[in-house]
Amino acid sequence: MITAPLALENVTKAFKDGEQYINILEDISFTAEKGKFTAVIGPSGSGKSTFLSIAGALLTPDQGEVFVNSQSIASYKDKKLANVRLTSIGYIFQAANLVPYLKVNEQLKLVAQMKGDWDREAKQRLGQLLESVGLKARVNYYPHQLSGGEKQRVAIARAFMNNPDIILADEPTANLDQARSDEIVALMAKEVKEKDKAAVMVTHDESLLKYCDTVYRMEQGKLIKGR
Amino acid sequence: MFSLALKEIRFFKLKYSLIAFILFLMASLVFIVSGLAQGLSNDNIAALEDMSVARFYLQEDAENRLDQSGYIIDELEEEIPREAGWQPLLTQMYRLDAASSETLLDVTLIPIDPEAFLYPGVIEGQNLTDSDALEIVADQTMKADGVEIGDTLYEADQDLTFTVVGFTENQTYRHSPIIYVAESAFYNLDLTPHQVANAIVIEEVNQELQADINQVLNDGDWVEKDAIIQAVPGHSSEQMSLMMMIAFLIVIAVFVLAAFFYILTIQKLNQFGVLKAIGAKNIFLVGATLLQVFCLTMISLILATGFTIFVSNILPEGMPFEFDLSLIASYSIIILIVSLLGSLLSSTRIVKVDPQQAMGRTE
Ligand SMILES: Nc1ncnc2c1ncn2[C@@H]1O[C@H](COP(=O)(O)OP(=O)(O)O)[C@@H](O)[C@H]1O
Ligand SMILES: [Mg+2]
Repeated sequence: MITAPLALENVTKAFKDGEQYINILEDISFTAEKGKFTAVIGPSGSGKSTFLSIAGALLTPDQGEVFVNSQSIASYKDKKLANVRLTSIGYIFQAANLVPYLKVNEQLKLVAQMKGDWDREAKQRLGQLLESVGLKARVNYYPHQLSGGEKQRVAIARAFMNNPDIILADEPTANLDQARSDEIVALMAKEVKEKDKAAVMVTHDESLLKYCDTVYRMEQGKLIKGR
Repeated sequence: MFSLALKEIRFFKLKYSLIAFILFLMASLVFIVSGLAQGLSNDNIAALEDMSVARFYLQEDAENRLDQSGYIIDELEEEIPREAGWQPLLTQMYRLDAASSETLLDVTLIPIDPEAFLYPGVIEGQNLTDSDALEIVADQTMKADGVEIGDTLYEADQDLTFTVVGFTENQTYRHSPIIYVAESAFYNLDLTPHQVANAIVIEEVNQELQADINQVLNDGDWVEKDAIIQAVPGHSSEQMSLMMMIAFLIVIAVFVLAAFFYILTIQKLNQFGVLKAIGAKNIFLVGATLLQVFCLTMISLILATGFTIFVSNILPEGMPFEFDLSLIASYSIIILIVSLLGSLLSSTRIVKVDPQQAMGRTE
C-alpha cells in the first residue's frame, strides 16, 4: 500500500530522436511525501520536464506505474487524467500561463468552477490564498497589468486553489531575477509546509535548494539523490 | 463555461466586435435580400396564393399561363350551373388614369361575383354588390399612388370610369394591383358579346364536376395552383436568382466564419493547452467556444433584424420589400447553425491539443 500522495515505480520513457529511440527516463522510482518540498536539478535536456509531466498526469510512461493518492493512473484515459490534474495536482509552470482575459480572482475562481466546487468555502479560500501570496490589492488586475513576480504568485495561488495534495513546479523562477526567485520559492516552501502538500520543483538555480527538504539530480535517465 | 466565454469577449472587445460586425453585415444582407425576394414574390403572385382555389382548368397549350388561355363559356353556363362549385376567372390588364397620379396606373381587372368564393373581401370601405355601377375594390398598394376611397379611375380606350369603394389586401398579380369589379357591372358594359374566361376554377377538388366541365369545354387540363404560380411570368426566374444570392451568401458565410473561428482557435491553442494541463476537459473548452460563437451570432442576428426593420422603414413606399419575421427567424436559425458548425470544425483542433505543451519543453 502506497501512502505517499505521489509515487513513481520503475518508470521508463523513450522519445524518438531521428531514427532511434532514446530512453529519457530509465527505470525511475520516486515518492513525494506530504509536507516535503523536493527539488530536482540537472542539465538542460536531461528529462526533468518529462519526469514532471509523467508525475503530473500530463504524459503516460512507456513502462512503470504512477500512483496519485494510491490510485494507479497508468490505465486512465484523457478525461480521467484531466480529473486527476484538476483535483489532485496543482501546477506552476515556467511561464505563469495565466488566462489573459481573466482578472486575478477569476483565475482562481475558474479552477474551482471547473471542479464544480465554487461555494462560500471556496470563496474564503480564494481570499486567504491571495492574502498569503500578497496580492490582496491586485484582485481586479488582469495578467498584463502584473509584474512577472506577481504573475507567478497568482500561478502559485491557482495551484493551491483546489486544495490538491500534490504541487508540481517546472522551473518556476526561470523568468525572474534572483531576488524575485528567492521570494517566490520561499513563498512556495511556506505554503507547502503550512498546507502539508507533497511538492516537487524542477530548477537549475542551485541557490534555491536551501528552501527544499530533499534534492535529486537527473542524469542520464536516472534520478540520483543528493546534489 | 458561460462566464469564461463572456469574459473573453469582454476583454477582447475589438476583436470580437469585428467578428460580430461581419456576422451582422452578412445576416443583414441575407435578411434584406430575402425580404426583397418575399416582396417581389408577393407583388407577383400574392393574389394567386391567397385565392381559395384548388384547381384551375386551362387550355392545354397555355403552358399553365392564365393570360395564354381563353374560353367562351356561354355553353358551360347553360350546361352546368355555377352552384355546382365553379367560377370563371377572367383577368384583364388596364392602364388607368387617376387624378392623384401623373402616370397611368397598371392594374389587373377581375370581374367577379361578390357572393362567390373568388371574392377576397375588403379590409377598408365597402364590399362590392351585384349592381351595374362601375364600382371597384382595389388592392391597398394603390394607396401609395394616392388613390383613396371615393376616387374615380378613368380608362381611356373604352371610356370607362371606375369608382373606388373599398380596399383589399394581398391582391397583387404580376407586379400590379388587382381591381375587382362586379361581374354584373362588367357585362353590362357590353364589351364582349359572349361570357368569357381565362380559366375555370373550383374551390375544392371534385372529380365528377371536373369531368363534367372537361366534357363541355373539351379543351384543357385541370392543374394545381402551384403550377399556375410557377408559370406566372418572371416569378420563377426572380425567385431563383434571389434564392441563389441567398444561398451563395450563406455558403460564403460558412467559409468566412469557419476561417475566422479557425484562426481564433489556432491563436488560442497554447492557452487551451494550459487550461487542459490544469484540468479542463475537452467538453468544457469546446463548450465554451461554441457558447461564445452562439452569443456572438445571437447578438449579430438581433442587430441585423433591427437593421432590417430600419431599412424596411426608410425604403420608398412602392418598393417591393416584405418584412417577414418568420422568414427572418428561419434564416437566423440557418445562420446560427452554420456558424456553430463553422466553429465545431476548429474544435477538433482543441481536442487534439496536448496538455503537456504547457510545460514549454526545451527543444
Ligand atoms: N514529446 C517529445 N518528443 C520527442 N522528444 C522529446 C519530447 N519531449 C521531450 N523530448 C526530448 O527529451 C529530452 C528531455 O526533455 P525535457 O524533459 O524537456 O528536458 P529538461 O526539462 O530536463 O530540459 C530532450 O532531449 C527533448 O528533446
Ligand atoms: Mg524543462
